[in-house]
Amino acid sequence: MEAKKTKAGDWRSYQRVLLPPVKDLHKLDVYENNEGYKALREVLTTAKWDPTSVTNEVKKSGLKGRGGAGFPTGLKWSFMPPVDPNIPRFLCCNGDESEPGTFKDRQLMEYNPHLVFEGMLIASYAMSIKTGYLYIRGEFADWITLMEEELEKAYAKGYVGKNIMGSDFSCDIVIHKGAGAYICGEESSLMSSLEGQRAYPRVKPPFPAQKGVWGYPTTINNVETLACAPLIINKGGEWFSKIGAPSHPGPVLYGISGHVNRPGVFEYPTGMLITDLIDEVAGGMRGGKKLKALIPGGSSTPILRADMIEGVTMDADSLRDAGSMMGTSGMLIMDEDVDIVSWLRRITHFYHHETCGQCTPCREGTGWLENIVTRLDEGNGQLRDLDILLDLCTQMEGRTVCALADAAAWPVRYTIDRFRSEFEAKCSTDSVPGGGVLETA
Amino acid sequence: MPNITVDNETFEFDGQPRLLQLCLETGVDLPHFCYHPSMSAPANCRQCLVEVGMPQINRDTGKPNLDESGQPVIQFMPKLQTSCSLDAAAGMVVRTHKSSELVKRAQKDNLEFLLINHPLDCPICDQAGHCPLQNQTYKHGPEGSRFEFRKVGKPKQIDLGPNVVLDGERCINCTRCVRFTSEISKSHQLTIIERGVRNYPMTPPGIEFDEPYSMNVIDICPVGALTSKDSRFRARIWEMSKTASISTVNARGANCFYWVKDNKIVEVTPRTNMDVNEYWLADEDRLDYRKFNDNRPLGPTISGADVAWDSAYKAVSDCLKGVDGTRIQFLGSAFATVEDNYLLSKLASAVGSAAPTYLAHNEVGHGDTWLRTDDRTPNTNGCERLGIHAADVAALKSRIQSGEVDVLYVLEDDPVAAGLCSVADLSGVKVVLHYYNSTNQTLPAADVAIPAAMAVETVGTLVNDQGHAQRLRPAKSIAGVNRTLSMEIGKCRADRHGTPFDKWYDESNLVNCQPGWVSIPRIAAGLNVEMNYKGPRNIMAELSSANDGFSGATYEAMGEHGVRLSEMGVTA
Repeated sequence: MEAKKTKAGDWRSYQRVLLPPVKDLHKLDVYENNEGYKALREVLTTAKWDPTSVTNEVKKSGLKGRGGAGFPTGLKWSFMPPVDPNIPRFLCCNGDESEPGTFKDRQLMEYNPHLVFEGMLIASYAMSIKTGYLYIRGEFADWITLMEEELEKAYAKGYVGKNIMGSDFSCDIVIHKGAGAYICGEESSLMSSLEGQRAYPRVKPPFPAQKGVWGYPTTINNVETLACAPLIINKGGEWFSKIGAPSHPGPVLYGISGHVNRPGVFEYPTGMLITDLIDEVAGGMRGGKKLKALIPGGSSTPILRADMIEGVTMDADSLRDAGSMMGTSGMLIMDEDVDIVSWLRRITHFYHHETCGQCTPCREGTGWLENIVTRLDEGNGQLRDLDILLDLCTQMEGRTVCALADAAAWPVRYTIDRFRSEFEAKCSTDSVPGGGVLETA
Repeated sequence: MPNITVDNETFEFDGQPRLLQLCLETGVDLPHFCYHPSMSAPANCRQCLVEVGMPQINRDTGKPNLDESGQPVIQFMPKLQTSCSLDAAAGMVVRTHKSSELVKRAQKDNLEFLLINHPLDCPICDQAGHCPLQNQTYKHGPEGSRFEFRKVGKPKQIDLGPNVVLDGERCINCTRCVRFTSEISKSHQLTIIERGVRNYPMTPPGIEFDEPYSMNVIDICPVGALTSKDSRFRARIWEMSKTASISTVNARGANCFYWVKDNKIVEVTPRTNMDVNEYWLADEDRLDYRKFNDNRPLGPTISGADVAWDSAYKAVSDCLKGVDGTRIQFLGSAFATVEDNYLLSKLASAVGSAAPTYLAHNEVGHGDTWLRTDDRTPNTNGCERLGIHAADVAALKSRIQSGEVDVLYVLEDDPVAAGLCSVADLSGVKVVLHYYNSTNQTLPAADVAIPAAMAVETVGTLVNDQGHAQRLRPAKSIAGVNRTLSMEIGKCRADRHGTPFDKWYDESNLVNCQPGWVSIPRIAAGLNVEMNYKGPRNIMAELSSANDGFSGATYEAMGEHGVRLSEMGVTA
């Protein structure tokens, strides 16, 4: 067996770029003193940068979306139709961070908001967009206030608005506050919500690049994704592509929570060994307990057992081979004391609470999943409930407008798959309600 | 024309139909709930899932890859697709529940989900018997339920507005009603509230669902969540007969079904006619049916005294005999059929009177740009085409008051209520009145009163404001034997006529009245004027060849959906 090997290189001496250790970096003057808006200035004032070359540089960097799906960002930008002066185009920055176990965009918005603005402006320039919406979940009220103040300052200094830095590029940024629904983080329902409609996801095709906000071409990127854009311009796509795992490069914010000594958001290259992240970055397991399970990228990514993470690194390829996904790199670490059935109960409750109710399988299935898992957790379940659960997952997966049904079904499917004995141990041995006879395995 | 293959059968198609619509039209009964042909497809019920494949295109040549036998290689999409949101495309290959186990399973699974929180109160639900959820569950659904938990409770028996009642628990969140108000009627009076499994449609705070077309959501609701405040709990669907006819509440003549139980009209629902009302019917068309049941006359009267029909006819003939034709005023009626007005014209000319006129019933501001009109009568256009024009009310009034009229012959109208004259004005005038209801205000002045069959009891033709000639069909029967009516009822409901299941055939609530095409020829006979028609069918056949305004409007041609008459300058 291959020895465990990190793809993050000499990560211990890694210099942070997304969240550099600068005091009060969220303030415009501090940001300016630390190469703030340098990338934007270069893009707008240097002849070498036309919109296509910006997109090409992002393509070259190999940046993949940090919102969960990991779609190549440069490619997404190139999906925008050719510019038609009569048709407005929009950028949406998705700051509706709601996935359980994910809390990394919040750090960016709190500690480095101007990097997000600068990234939005560069992306807008690359796609000839004149309006960028920054959709932030409403619970982040404090950071919304902070960002609004900082945005005012950026407007006053001429970084945002009309004829930015004397160029003929104009772009507005609008901060929009969400009203507290998980589904609004789904890109098409984010657009519906932005338009003031009920946040129901939309059928694709048409894709947002064809028909997005208000029916016009739109690109939607995650906060962290856009924050990478100024770095790519400043230091080059090639520099970016050499950070971390080659197939999934760049700096990434690992949000580590759960039973570790030092939970928090840590910026490191992609391709970190999971064991390094737990043992060194997060300071090891709390109370010296043993690791039982972890989810690598938010609650909807498949759970991994402790024995499955040997040599696994945090990048799309390695995690796929291990049977999971990169997701949002919000890692949830669980120690040996965790009751996995109880944990799943909490997760199913979340998806039941957050399903928008548009599509039948998701609306009805999420509640049914929670009902059964709750019954199992309370010790009243039957073995056949496990089969029903897996059946319901099959009935939900891939049969809805958006991916929430998948996100709700996968934790159930993979948790039962990988911890079946714990579920069986919790099953009741009483006879089946209604007088049937329990089949024992 | 491009081809599409559905379940190994190849069909040609035209334009860009939605896949579900194309399947339905080719006879593949794909189950579905949220899709409606007139509205956008949000694909939210997930019931119409199918497997869809397209020919694999070679990226270099741009042509389809072929397999060994020379057939295009079909690449199927990885997930099942909702056929309602997909446009049919050339070369598309579709597998439905008829050829795919996967699709069959998906449809069954989806119905299982739909039913877990549905109250399953079919025994007390008005929709039972014509419920898409019920029907499709029997066809495609699971046999039992594996759901062993408490169903979600939602508000029930909510008045959304004056005409529509909501049962939130029955709702399956197809959003058809919401889309109706946002895309069709544009009133925006409904929205979905709550989230997830507790979703149900509701009006925004402080808003009542009172638009004039609100009741259409009852018809498009695929379950019993939205019911009619007026007719719910009145009759089960299998206790009623329905007759395809037209509404007579305004000049549009929207196509509708009259539902009859115990010989009473209990409900009016829309009937699709893309040339007139599409799928819709205004609330006024649905709610104005009690006039067919209530205050109906008991039989013919002479000066208020009950008489036999023959005596009444003779009395009318006697009224007309020996009177100077110019001193007889015939009033036709825009409420009456083309046939009856035509016979009245013939009678008028036979006694040497001027052509009849009719009383206009316009209510300025009542109409809209959709299905409602200012004109509250169904046949103004038909009257005009017959050469029967609106009466000059002021001139006619002064003629009556100055004693220039000896006989006033009124066909199916109410001149006193219409403001033409008062009962006192008519004291010196002999009044012959064909009337519908005993509330007719001209009745006290009538010398001879003939109860007339109403739109739901007769056979005839009405011409709407757009020149669309359409047939009235008898929905309920009248007292006495009328073989023509019986035959027409049989013709429009051939499968049910005369069986014990036919709810039309009931001895109760029979109204003692006669259609104009029965009574007018009898009156004419008393004047030795011959009107030899076997029935309205023949009258219309004669009119369609004799009068350019009705050319082509035979009963056979009008059929279910009517005939658009040529633009016709009103003959002077």
